[in-house]
Amino acid sequence: MKYAVFILAIISAACSRPQKTVNEVVAVSAAKLPMDPADRAWDNAPAHIARMIPQDLVEPRLMTPSTQQVTIRSITNGAEIAFRLEWEDPDSNDLPGPAKMVDACAVQIPEKIEKDLPEPQMGQEGKRVQVTYWRADWQAAVNGRGDTIRDIYPNASIDHYPFESKPLEPGSGEQKEMAMLYAPARALGNIRGGPRTVPVEDLVATGPGTLTPGPPLGANGRGVHGKTGWSVVISRRLPEGLAPNQRSHAAFAIWQGAKQEAGARKMRTGWIPLVRRGS
Amino acid sequence: MARVNNWQLGREMSYWYPEARPQKQFAAVFDTNKCIACQTCTLACKTTWTSGKGQEYMLWNNVETKPYGSYPLAYDLKLLEMLNGQQWNGNKYEGQTIFESAPAGERVLGWRPEQQDYAYPNVGEDDCAGQVDHGQFLSLPHMNWFFYLARICNHCTYPACLASCPRGSIYKRPEDGIVLVDQGRCRGYQECVRGCPYKKVFFNPMTGTSEKCIACFPKIEQGIQPQCFVNCIGKIRLAGWISKPGQVRADNPIDYLVHIRKVALPLFPQFGLEPNVYYIPPIHAPVSFNKQLFGPGAGEAVKTYRNAMNDPDLAGLLCLFGSTEMVVSRFSRQGDSVTGFDERGSAVVRVPLREPVHVRPAVDTKNQLVRINCP
Repeated sequence: MKYAVFILAIISAACSRPQKTVNEVVAVSAAKLPMDPADRAWDNAPAHIARMIPQDLVEPRLMTPSTQQVTIRSITNGAEIAFRLEWEDPDSNDLPGPAKMVDACAVQIPEKIEKDLPEPQMGQEGKRVQVTYWRADWQAAVNGRGDTIRDIYPNASIDHYPFESKPLEPGSGEQKEMAMLYAPARALGNIRGGPRTVPVEDLVATGPGTLTPGPPLGANGRGVHGKTGWSVVISRRLPEGLAPNQRSHAAFAIWQGAKQEAGARKMRTGWIPLVRRGS
Repeated sequence: MARVNNWQLGREMSYWYPEARPQKQFAAVFDTNKCIACQTCTLACKTTWTSGKGQEYMLWNNVETKPYGSYPLAYDLKLLEMLNGQQWNGNKYEGQTIFESAPAGERVLGWRPEQQDYAYPNVGEDDCAGQVDHGQFLSLPHMNWFFYLARICNHCTYPACLASCPRGSIYKRPEDGIVLVDQGRCRGYQECVRGCPYKKVFFNPMTGTSEKCIACFPKIEQGIQPQCFVNCIGKIRLAGWISKPGQVRADNPIDYLVHIRKVALPLFPQFGLEPNVYYIPPIHAPVSFNKQLFGPGAGEAVKTYRNAMNDPDLAGLLCLFGSTEMVVSRFSRQGDSVTGFDERGSAVVRVPLREPVHVRPAVDTKNQLVRINCP
């Protein structure tokens, strides 16, 4: 029996592909971007394991380190680039609420390829960075979670919403207009919650506290939570000037909702070289 | 951190941003002795501003029964415990504010209520556990008294919500000092919820942003008092403008009550925010409790208030509470009546200090009948 287990272990090791790790993020070429984190095409991209550090430069800081490392793979189809981020997090936190934060991750890339890099922490004035940000609650919305309070609190009892009452007809222009009066963030186009078509957003920053929606870069994503943690694919337009065998840089950030991480309270990497392989 | 003047503490203190007082500062006085906890203010606010999805649990205005009531649960006790006992020396606060005691890596000393902390907005209502025939069932620190504490955002001079926001999504309007969350910029980090010691910023899980009392600024801009003021059954509230320190005007109702007569006091001044809602302390609560809530002037404030019947200017001004929908910027007493004026100097209300009393005899001799009080 002991020998059988040993032989099985050898066979298993021989069958699984060894994880190729590299000391930079290498974007390999493929005809199609694999948006499913479980797509076997990701096996063709070498893994870069990045150690993470707490954001401890600006207040509020993350004083207790959480996510230790993130495994990054990258694939490009020549027009877009996708990253798959994997990190350990046994809890899936995708329900927002008072004192309830959600899991999230982000990829940051300098807007321009320059010799002098922007500050790794959200860039700096005159050296803007592009951030593609994914959130677990947005993923849940894309996966079909509804836009009612019962989708967040299943046992909620609702007496009355003035904007869903007679004589307003459901779905009418008048009804939608009145509903917006009670959702000022949505009325201003700040879609932090509610219906979404993609679980990511395109952002730009020129330093801590300056994050703001940026020019659309066609960002998309898909995240799946497994037994040990998250596997998230984030895609966006290929960074400007990132020709084959050219280098740019990328930095990554992870938020664990269970640890009350949001905004500046995050684990992050410094700049990591990003190389585009292939022709 | 910058050094700023906090007159409520009688000293300078540290704050995240330099001192920048607005041109005018929205302020209010609440008379706790007149509040009956009917919650009309709460509903006036609720129906006006927070009937949306994700706002179900929010009470921008709430009324809690002290000493045990609190919304969210133990919002005040938790922070007082975190401050771990601080001291006043006369009218000077010698303890640390929530800015000065911020732990490493934090902007303020704070905590974030959890969902269940919002579940019982009326906890402790009317709890006083007084004397009963067969003895008291419970023995508690505060036995035979309670009072109602109505609360809105204090639109603080040094807001902790504003200081806590790492991306500048909260601002204090220079024209009136009203503190607002920019709903277009907020990203829902809930740092403001954590930072506000009064817990008057609320996270909306449906919009993903934090929301708070806006002092009904569309009304204030028209010289009209907010919804929770004009709907107050007990007429406990007066909205107005508090002058900058050193520019106090005796004919300004808020200045008169706060700075001149010192009968209205800030709530938890020791937190260091220079809150701009002022309270006339309850006359039946122990002085020690009043001092913990309203600072060292609470004892004198109660004495001044108790003597209001012999104090025509103070009594006259108290009569203006709830007497008009308009914001009263200036007041003047002439004999037995008091007049309130708006910002342009126009008289908007005139009330007598004492309403005439008509005594109707129980026996009507003319008609040969005895009047009774039931139909």
